[in-house]
Amino acid sequence: MNMIELKFILNGNEVKVTTEPSFRLLDLLRDKFNLTGTKEGCGVGECGACTVLMNGKAINSCLVLAAQIEGNEIVTIEGVANGNELHPIQKNFLKYGAVQCGFCSPAMVLSAFALLEENPNPTEEEIKDAIAGNLCRCTGYKQIIEAINESAKELTAHK
Amino acid sequence: MPSIKILTPKNLNEVLGILSNHDKDLRIIAGGTDVITGLKQESNRFINTEVLIDINSVAEVKGIEQRNGKISIGSASTFTEIYTNQIISKELPILKKAVVTIGSLQIRNRATIAGNFVNNAPCADTVPALLVYNATIEIESINSKREISLQEFLQGPYKTQLKKDEIVTRINIPVLPKTYVGDFYKLGRRQAVAISRITLAVLMELNKNKINEIRIASGAVTPIGIRFAELEKFAEGKEVNDNFIKTLSSKIGEEVIKLTGLRWSSEYKLPVVQQMFYQLLRGIERG
Repeated sequence: MNMIELKFILNGNEVKVTTEPSFRLLDLLRDKFNLTGTKEGCGVGECGACTVLMNGKAINSCLVLAAQIEGNEIVTIEGVANGNELHPIQKNFLKYGAVQCGFCSPAMVLSAFALLEENPNPTEEEIKDAIAGNLCRCTGYKQIIEAINESAKELTAHK
Repeated sequence: MPSIKILTPKNLNEVLGILSNHDKDLRIIAGGTDVITGLKQESNRFINTEVLIDINSVAEVKGIEQRNGKISIGSASTFTEIYTNQIISKELPILKKAVVTIGSLQIRNRATIAGNFVNNAPCADTVPALLVYNATIEIESINSKREISLQEFLQGPYKTQLKKDEIVTRINIPVLPKTYVGDFYKLGRRQAVAISRITLAVLMELNKNKINEIRIASGAVTPIGIRFAELEKFAEGKEVNDNFIKTLSSKIGEEVIKLTGLRWSSEYKLPVVQQMFYQLLRGIERG
């Protein structure tokens, strides 16, 4: 089994890891880095539960292989809060009832985070487009959209 | 996931060199949204793959430019790169519309245009749009370079002309005068993350009320995306009015059956194809 050494930036820190080249990024994060916030739902890029940010863009980590992340910047849900201080998006998810079982939540927060970084004042349609690749079986999405909308207002008010 | 070797060439020459080495089963990977799912699901198309060639660092297959009346799209351009590009928005609105319907944001951030038509699933969404734009594709190997029409390149479901030592490098589309107008329609089981059941792309140039040229393509209703050459010839020179649009819409159903025969889905799909084609034409005509 050939192993490779990878260097990339994970949640703001440069990291090095030895792994099989065809190990999925999802498995790398969960098994080698013990960052279990990123979940496996379908494994084929349809549910979005494995969403992480790569170079600021939301991607399905079940569809990226370890060898493809060399030199790139990855942000997982564990990298969103500021130490013990939750990010406004996380606070609003809790406040507006956007978290029920919580399985979709890490990915959903990351999709929202990526959206608001690029588009601080999204319309409701733009919010829906941004989370269209994140399935939620519990909430019916209404609370999630509201939480993201409120976060957008809050974040722009502070600028 | 099977254990596989992955190479990360830094330029096109390296890619061509690797591809010229036939003794292993090599496959190119860019976004991986078809390749990785195929590997995971042990699809027949990937079961013998031993080596993946990651082309994400190959500059020659990236970038979108406009030169000498043509738009050149790097084969490994992601769908996000395509629909956020100013040149595409201005000159190729039908392609933009098609690309925006694909998958989800996460998929569009990785999946690439050439990946879509080289995989050539019957429902490939870029195909009808590229066909009405008369797209040509550049293909290179270590010993050759050729450019052929997309239509020629696509042979059958999941089958193209691409040889083992070749890679698609660019997609070229001639810039059209502003008199050409068109639209794209997709029907899936839901609004996002949906495999197309029907896609239609139409581009036409009208002179007063007469059709100077019309280009019609569909996806997902025939084994691969196609242009309807006979329909296009029939419509040339005709006046665009409600009656004619109805006639043309009825004919598209007949053309589809000629190619596919009556299928279990025909009873549902054909009326929808005809009606959506009618609405598409009316929408374009009304401007």
